[in-house]
Amino acid sequence: MKRSKTSLAVGRNAMAALLAGLFAVSGAASRADEAPSFLAGLHKQVTLTNTVPDNGDQNPYAIAVAPVSAGKFKQGDVLVDNFNNAANLQGVGTTIVDYHPDSKELTTFAQLPHELPQCPGGVGLSTAMTVLKSGWVIVGSTPSNDGTTDTKGAGCLIVLDSQGKVADVWSGPNINDPWGNMAVIDNGSSATLFVSNAGFGVGSTKGKPPVVNQSTILRLELDIPEGKAPVIKSQTVVAGGFGEQADKGVFLIGPTGLAYGKDDKLYVSDALGNRVSEIWDATTRTTSAGVGRTLTQDGLLLRPLAMVTAPNGHLLVTNGSNGKVVEVDPATGTQLAARWIDANKAQVPPGNGDLFGIAMTPSGDGFYYVQDDVNTLVLAK
Amino acid sequence: MPSRSTPLRGVSRLKPAVLLACLAAWQWSAPAAAATSVADPAASAADDVNPAELPEADQSIKAAPTGQWTGLWSRQTLLGDMGGLRSALGRHGITLGLTEVSEELGNVKGGINKGLAYDGLTTLTIGLDTQKAWGLQGGSFNASVLSIHGRNLSASNLGSLQTASGIEADTGTRLWELWYQQKFLDDRMDVKIGQQSIDQEFMVSQYAGAFVNTMFGWPAVPSYDMPSGGPAYPLSALGIRLRAHLNDPLTVLGGVYDGNPAAKNGAFDPNGDPQKQNAHGTNFNVHNGALFIAELQYGVNQPAMGQLETGHGQAGLPGTYKLGAWYNNEKFGDLRYDDGGLLLADPSSSGNPQLHKGNYSVYAVADQMVWRPSEDSSKTLNVFGRVMGAPGDRNLISFSANAGVTLTAPFEGRDSDTVGLGLGYVKVGNHAQGLDADTAAFSGNYNPVRNSETIVEATYQYQLAPWWQLQGDVQYTLNPGGGVLNPSDATGTQKIANTWVLGLRTTITF
Repeated sequence: MKRSKTSLAVGRNAMAALLAGLFAVSGAASRADEAPSFLAGLHKQVTLTNTVPDNGDQNPYAIAVAPVSAGKFKQGDVLVDNFNNAANLQGVGTTIVDYHPDSKELTTFAQLPHELPQCPGGVGLSTAMTVLKSGWVIVGSTPSNDGTTDTKGAGCLIVLDSQGKVADVWSGPNINDPWGNMAVIDNGSSATLFVSNAGFGVGSTKGKPPVVNQSTILRLELDIPEGKAPVIKSQTVVAGGFGEQADKGVFLIGPTGLAYGKDDKLYVSDALGNRVSEIWDATTRTTSAGVGRTLTQDGLLLRPLAMVTAPNGHLLVTNGSNGKVVEVDPATGTQLAARWIDANKAQVPPGNGDLFGIAMTPSGDGFYYVQDDVNTLVLAK
Repeated sequence: MPSRSTPLRGVSRLKPAVLLACLAAWQWSAPAAAATSVADPAASAADDVNPAELPEADQSIKAAPTGQWTGLWSRQTLLGDMGGLRSALGRHGITLGLTEVSEELGNVKGGINKGLAYDGLTTLTIGLDTQKAWGLQGGSFNASVLSIHGRNLSASNLGSLQTASGIEADTGTRLWELWYQQKFLDDRMDVKIGQQSIDQEFMVSQYAGAFVNTMFGWPAVPSYDMPSGGPAYPLSALGIRLRAHLNDPLTVLGGVYDGNPAAKNGAFDPNGDPQKQNAHGTNFNVHNGALFIAELQYGVNQPAMGQLETGHGQAGLPGTYKLGAWYNNEKFGDLRYDDGGLLLADPSSSGNPQLHKGNYSVYAVADQMVWRPSEDSSKTLNVFGRVMGAPGDRNLISFSANAGVTLTAPFEGRDSDTVGLGLGYVKVGNHAQGLDADTAAFSGNYNPVRNSETIVEATYQYQLAPWWQLQGDVQYTLNPGGGVLNPSDATGTQKIANTWVLGLRTTITF
């Protein structure tokens, strides 16, 4: 992958951190002019399908809803990738399944080789996945050879055509385990991608793995020529320094959720910091904002993971350490509500470690999410 | 036969020799597995250097194919995908579970005889998801087979009412459960039909499941008072069970089953071994009355799907409280009086007990977490209690109770371990006590009156790998058998002495 000058401005500088502290926004206060809660308007959760494909891959992570019909998928189809293989080893899953809401059937969209030579460490599909209006699918790999970070590779971003075939692989010094859900501004012939890298400096799970503050949020500017695969025009680290940690149970913990909002703000869920940060001037900045400003912290959040923007502009964040999704008003940082979308008592707290990817339905009347312990795709609406 | 408890599904035990072999294999294989998949030459420099910790190391790591034994020590099952078998079955909605529980129990003091005994249980479970198989949402089939092996220490050496291990049973291979379950009304109700072992759903204490003694699983009252010990491990009975989630905290279960899981075509020998009378679990009897059972479950601080929260306060600690009752409509013999009103111990008695219409019991179960340092902490301190009673005229045990405390993640870095201390108590029914006194009076021989038995158990479950647990266990039994004569005492004057039992259990999920 190409390397731009701006990419050298890695987001860990002290000034940004100082600004972040000065402008930290408390999430405690509530305002009378809040928009109605999106979560309060939901009625039920419906299990749509088991997500295990024919090769037995498990642990559904990313969810992306197709904005167009192209190749193997139709507009509105729900693509889900798997992080684990059939033996339930993390970082070895290589499949993307396609749930068709109209027929309620599940097909396999792509099955990649674990040993993809251009991708350092191979393929273990992560929560970073998007389907572009041009029909290209971009998915992240956070690979391992043994199911732990002991053998993790730096991974890559993989470009698939609409038939599920590999068209290109992006790797390089700015990419290390693209982990969380991508925020995307898709203009058709061009696009801006934000992706979190949670692998820099993450070592073994042996002993008590340390927290390292080397993660980055990378902005990729893409050119998408007609009929050709996207190419990277430039890449810029727009934020960084969020905590990352190797983990025996969940592979690694790091910044996972990204959502692009009003006023050119990018929101980042910082799992280890138990907060949501905001990065200002997200599409124009040429330097890193560090960990940005804290929009909201603690409260109903418990290891926030994937994040999406609801039609009312509020952020919906899945919790990693219980089965709740939390609604946050980005204008004020107020945590409006949390809804239990996984109450499985097999885990303590219920739903602990089950939630990951989240995506809005095309009509905005609900959201899709995964329960990765039981390999299911669920619709809340 | 008091040999029932809820066996741990998904775990297994090995004989000591096999254990040692596994440990040796582990020592040999673990470092090799970590090193082989890394291409960086620096990786072989020293065993204690993790290549992923070296700068830029993960840019040069090459992908390596996974094999049958890749990631052995971090995965959930010993055999993983079983060479593709599990995923092949999974395409048709079939899941395959195989566990082995093995234990060595030793009576080191007291009891009938000192000694060691190995016993084990292999459980094969096959499940089928009808949605995956043919598109029917919410349906599942389940079939399980038990292979019980080894020797029963409690029967041969201990003489206790509260038998030392929940997996002790007659050796052999038998069908256990065979049922179909269907959810409906948005999963708010489900019905289960077929051969069922009701210890899997009724009277269950979540935290008592950590203990080895039988009575922490299937308790003493149903073990001794239901015909053949009731439809519980290793037996089961045909029946139907309905479950309804009434509202967020309330769930109700109700079931009706054949009244005697050991009978065959209505025939049953009350003096014979029930497990031998249904030796393969295939009697499928429906001729011996009916067992009705119902249970109301109330969860506190237990979230429900879709529940909305707006507060920012600390969540309360979860607990579950259950109240239940069962009724069997068969006839039950009195333990003291015969059908003519005479004492059964009287030499002039007909020997035929007076018959009572039906039998019943009421029970309560409580599980409550009482402390955790934070909401997402693995460390939790939990307490449980379970009490139940049954009429003392027709039942050997008129009251039984369990209570205890467990601590998960007791030590730093031991998130999946559990340590526990439990107490069990059983009271012999008043007519059985009367029979003991009558027997002494009529025979003129020493025949102590049984009253109660108490056990204390301390246990530690240590997780070697997600698929392999070791469990050390100590049990002390006061007044074994409720205070019966020791059959190995030639003088006929000594009760069974208080007993110390040590045990080591290993549970492997294949």
